[in-house]
Amino acid sequence: MATTSRALEVTVISGEGLRLDRRRPVKKNAFAVVRTNSRISRTTKTDIDGGSYPTWNEKIVVDFPSQARFLTVEVHCKTYSGEKIVGTARIPATDFAGGYFPDNYLHFLSYRLREDGKGERNGIINLSVRVKVPENRVSATMCSGGAVPWMGGPLAVEGCSSGVVTGVPVWHRYKY
Amino acid sequence: MAVVYVKKRDGSLEELGRTEVIMNCLDPTWIEKINVAYQFEIVQQLVFHVYDVDTRYHNLPVKIVTRQSRSLTIKLHNKNGHAGLKNLGTITVHAEETIASRNAVEIKFRCSHLDNKDLFSKSDPFLRISRIVESGGSVPICKTEVVNNNLNPIWKPLTLTMQQFGSKDNPLIIECFDFNSSGNHVLIGKLQKSVEDLEKLHNEKMGANFILPPSRYRAHEKVLKGQLFVDGFYEKKLYRFLDYISSGFELNFMVAVDFTASNGNPRSRDSLHYVDPTGRLNAYQQAIMEVGEVIQFYDSDRRFPAWGFGGRTYDGSVSHCFNLNGSASGFEVEGIEGIMAAYASALHNVVLAGPTLFGQVINTAAEIAGRSLSSNNKKYFVLLIITDGVLTDLQETKDALVRASDLPLSVLIVGVGGADFQQMEILDADNGQRLESSTGKIATRDIVQFVPMREVHGGQISIVQALLEELPGQFVMYMQSRDIKPLAANAAPLAPPGQGHPYPVDKSSEDRISHEVSADIVRFGSN
Repeated sequence: MATTSRALEVTVISGEGLRLDRRRPVKKNAFAVVRTNSRISRTTKTDIDGGSYPTWNEKIVVDFPSQARFLTVEVHCKTYSGEKIVGTARIPATDFAGGYFPDNYLHFLSYRLREDGKGERNGIINLSVRVKVPENRVSATMCSGGAVPWMGGPLAVEGCSSGVVTGVPVWHRYKY
Repeated sequence: MAVVYVKKRDGSLEELGRTEVIMNCLDPTWIEKINVAYQFEIVQQLVFHVYDVDTRYHNLPVKIVTRQSRSLTIKLHNKNGHAGLKNLGTITVHAEETIASRNAVEIKFRCSHLDNKDLFSKSDPFLRISRIVESGGSVPICKTEVVNNNLNPIWKPLTLTMQQFGSKDNPLIIECFDFNSSGNHVLIGKLQKSVEDLEKLHNEKMGANFILPPSRYRAHEKVLKGQLFVDGFYEKKLYRFLDYISSGFELNFMVAVDFTASNGNPRSRDSLHYVDPTGRLNAYQQAIMEVGEVIQFYDSDRRFPAWGFGGRTYDGSVSHCFNLNGSASGFEVEGIEGIMAAYASALHNVVLAGPTLFGQVINTAAEIAGRSLSSNNKKYFVLLIITDGVLTDLQETKDALVRASDLPLSVLIVGVGGADFQQMEILDADNGQRLESSTGKIATRDIVQFVPMREVHGGQISIVQALLEELPGQFVMYMQSRDIKPLAANAAPLAPPGQGHPYPVDKSSEDRISHEVSADIVRFGSN
């Protein structure tokens, strides 16, 4: 069975140095939005008094489609005049999937937030990402020898019948 | 009687402690325990002298703490250093880390109805916790962050170690101040509670009122409306570096040597790569020896990857990551002596070139560290880069370091020669500036430690100490952030993972690890 999307466990941990309009530090009511594409998004709770260093420590599970190249995290702030976007970070999928890391590795990541308009730097977002490996599936493994494993490290070879390739890997390996 | 000495760098012995005298016995078991402060960055050579009335037996230096069973039996020699024909017996030493330091509590404080001390806004409160000492005064042990403009503040969880508060029933003074940037913080209120009292406050979900002590306007103390609440009380064990090591975790050592032309022709006496026929070690050899000497004890198979960078190898092209042993297939050498031999032969076979780039070496080391994660997570990698020069591409190095920052890897950089190493200080983010890659990714943790060799020569502290001081802290922080516990430990859980990023904004963790290890001289056998 080919996998078309994976579950990602994203824990949005905290933000640092957030500003509004390039000048004033954010005072309160910041929250984060995690997006896999323009349609799917999940939101954290609002940090009422964290100021420009909000802490959320909230775990969000999103479905990450296999064609998606980025995970987008936006930090918003509720102000008197409405909701403003403080900054956005685009996290390439290669930062948490593919490469030599084992499946299920807990990646601690931090990114620079940039304002949408002029792309100016506005703070840092700290989060952790873990690709959830489905437990009871027959993994799309290479039963014929010589193929390169695409998640790094040996894949679980469960229920693989010899001599027949049972699945089609859909992740590309991006070398950075 | 047995006396324990530590052998200092100049060979002299300094007494650490002695056991009691047991009379008339050929197999004494001493009761007296001797406490030794463990320092990771030095090889602490312990010498045990066993005294009798006339003759003296002693043993040569030994390193105990990395052994799994924590116990070591060694043969005794006479004072000339060898046993000769006589069987002088053995001494068994058992070393154990003293337990007290591991317990800690994580407390989440909150206050309500604090008095307003600011004119145009509300108070900016923070808490300061102090311990009462025997002389009657108090010593501050920690404080919370400042919450701005808030009379009902909630602070981030505070961790107190048992070393700091002593025991759970020791009275602690908790003061709430209004922060002023002038430094003149105004006392809002104070109260006295022990850790046990705080636990009760948490369990009963009650608040404790603050008090204002008597002043010149008021003869008695005033009970305030403001209250302190304990919203979270969490006991945990802070595992220390030695806990992991003695349960099977190990450090894997890797070396990268600078082969750029700025070092100078190795045949010339002023070259940094000059191999002195009299045996005097050059800067590179010294760094390899001193660092490797400490770390090799923590590496079980003593097979070390060794690379060079910036040199022109046999096929004529400049490589920024070539195997030091000149082999096409394997990059590992055996032991420190293997590194030295590979280095010496590389000096003959490799032409110094340039430029100075670390990126490839760091990427290769990172890949090794990453791949090892699939098999087990008990290995932590240490890459030593010895360089004489200024980086050609600082951003490339930053990018490689940022990518590697979430791995079980630390990068130690030694600067040799007289260059201006200012940009290296940027990599060693001790000033709090996290490294940022060109793609906007930010380093998860500070994995770099940089020391220029010339700064430490002539000083009391050796280059190794300066480099290795932070290493146990980096190791423990990596393990703790992933809730990786030492094996065979059936203990209270660490704080739940995900709570708090491994690179906290306020770095209040101790960088220098020193433990109390008690050497228990157990048996003196005559065989």
